[in-house]
Amino acid sequence: MAHKFPPILLVFNRPTALYSHRIGSKTIFVIHSPLLSLSQAMLSRGIVSPFRTPTFPFPTTTCKYSISDQDLESRGFFLRRTISDLNLDHLNSVFVAVGFPRRDPEKIKLALEHTESMLWVEYKKTQKPVAFARATGDGVFNAIIWDVVVDPSFQGIGLGKAVMERLVEELLEKGICNIALYSEPRVLGFYRPLGFVADPDGIRGMVYSRKQRKKK
Amino acid sequence: MLTHNVAAPSSIRPILSYDCHCQVSNQLFFPLSPNINPGTWKANRKLKGCRLKASFWESIRSGILKNNTTQIIEPPSTLEKEEEPLPEEFVLVEKSQPDGEVEQIIFSSGGDVDIYELQALCDKVGWPRRPLSKLAAALKNSYMVATLHSVRKLASSEGDEQKKLIGMARATSDHAFNATIWDVLVDPCYQGQGLGKAMVEKLIRTLLQRDIGNITLFADSQVVEFYRNLGFEPDPEGIKDFRGAWDIRGGCLYVSQVLIIHLSL
Repeated sequence: MAHKFPPILLVFNRPTALYSHRIGSKTIFVIHSPLLSLSQAMLSRGIVSPFRTPTFPFPTTTCKYSISDQDLESRGFFLRRTISDLNLDHLNSVFVAVGFPRRDPEKIKLALEHTESMLWVEYKKTQKPVAFARATGDGVFNAIIWDVVVDPSFQGIGLGKAVMERLVEELLEKGICNIALYSEPRVLGFYRPLGFVADPDGIRGMVYSRKQRKKK
Repeated sequence: MLTHNVAAPSSIRPILSYDCHCQVSNQLFFPLSPNINPGTWKANRKLKGCRLKASFWESIRSGILKNNTTQIIEPPSTLEKEEEPLPEEFVLVEKSQPDGEVEQIIFSSGGDVDIYELQALCDKVGWPRRPLSKLAAALKNSYMVATLHSVRKLASSEGDEQKKLIGMARATSDHAFNATIWDVLVDPCYQGQGLGKAMVEKLIRTLLQRDIGNITLFADSQVVEFYRNLGFEPDPEGIKDFRGAWDIRGGCLYVSQVLIIHLSL
């Protein structure tokens, strides 16, 4: 697959400390942070909604995500968070279907065993993975999300979003504040509503280039 | 809590040879055969005082150029093809003072870091404070932690060494495809000597030797040049498998800038 346009590095932009929120139609942030200037910056960027007192109690369990776990299950999709029952050959096929190069399944297994968080969606009927995402990092400060894929036949119905929302939530619950990922420009619209920003603050993502070394 | 090793006598550590060869820029500190007698670098200058360099890369260049007696190891020509696995710990630089004191800068990828020393070093470079327990956990969960220690030995007192942490870099990884380098820091008193460059180069080399092809990091604008000169591209183009992308496209990679939020914990 030819990639004409460059990939973008996105970082999750989220207020700190105590907060409650819901992703979905209503977003309420309670910013309890000494970094008021940062909050102001985010407010002005439209990323964070101003504090609003709820007029009636919101149950915290329902509608936390754009699609609830029950909704997914009723449509025949199971959410999984571990490598068990994940057929790596099927996963590899999904990778290839979206344009990744085919990788050694043994290496994929090694990578997944050392991945701190992963989420995938299993389609009940075929028992195959149809959506996947994983995050590596030090488990405390930083995480990078890799390999976000949705089987082309299942794209457009909210599976990718479901996987990403839950993965990010899981990382945030661990207290990880720096969440980043590399994205192709054509899917920026997918990541932005999830809270990722491509806006630099003087910080750039860099990748080691072996080819450049060979030239020298 | 992680603690550092008690300083071992230097005879145990491999002292690797140097070629008295002053070349600039992308020279790699590459360990050669330990059979050759190690030369000592008669330091005509004292160790630099604590000062932060504005332009990182320029300072490294000038640091190497200034001292013609700098020992820099010349990489062998068959670098790409056959590489010996890097020893876990080795001497990067050795300086002898006129009064007989010897200072060695030791690179280690073993990851033995005293958390308190690390905290102090982070304070020294001006980074925001992070909880010690989290620091320890982060180090534990890192795939590789590279450190620079300065070991000072007085000629008079045998076996009496002062070991100090002066630099660190760590990398997280999934052990197979990707690695990301975080928290690269060098004590301001030791900056401008090419130590940070050497440390990161070693880290990269070790990662590549373990067949982890995709190495990434985030750099703020002041140090983009520093990493560019180490072989990092700030703007890669092509994705999914960076290595594959290069082979096919043969061009540079592009990635736009990124925002990192250092939220105080």
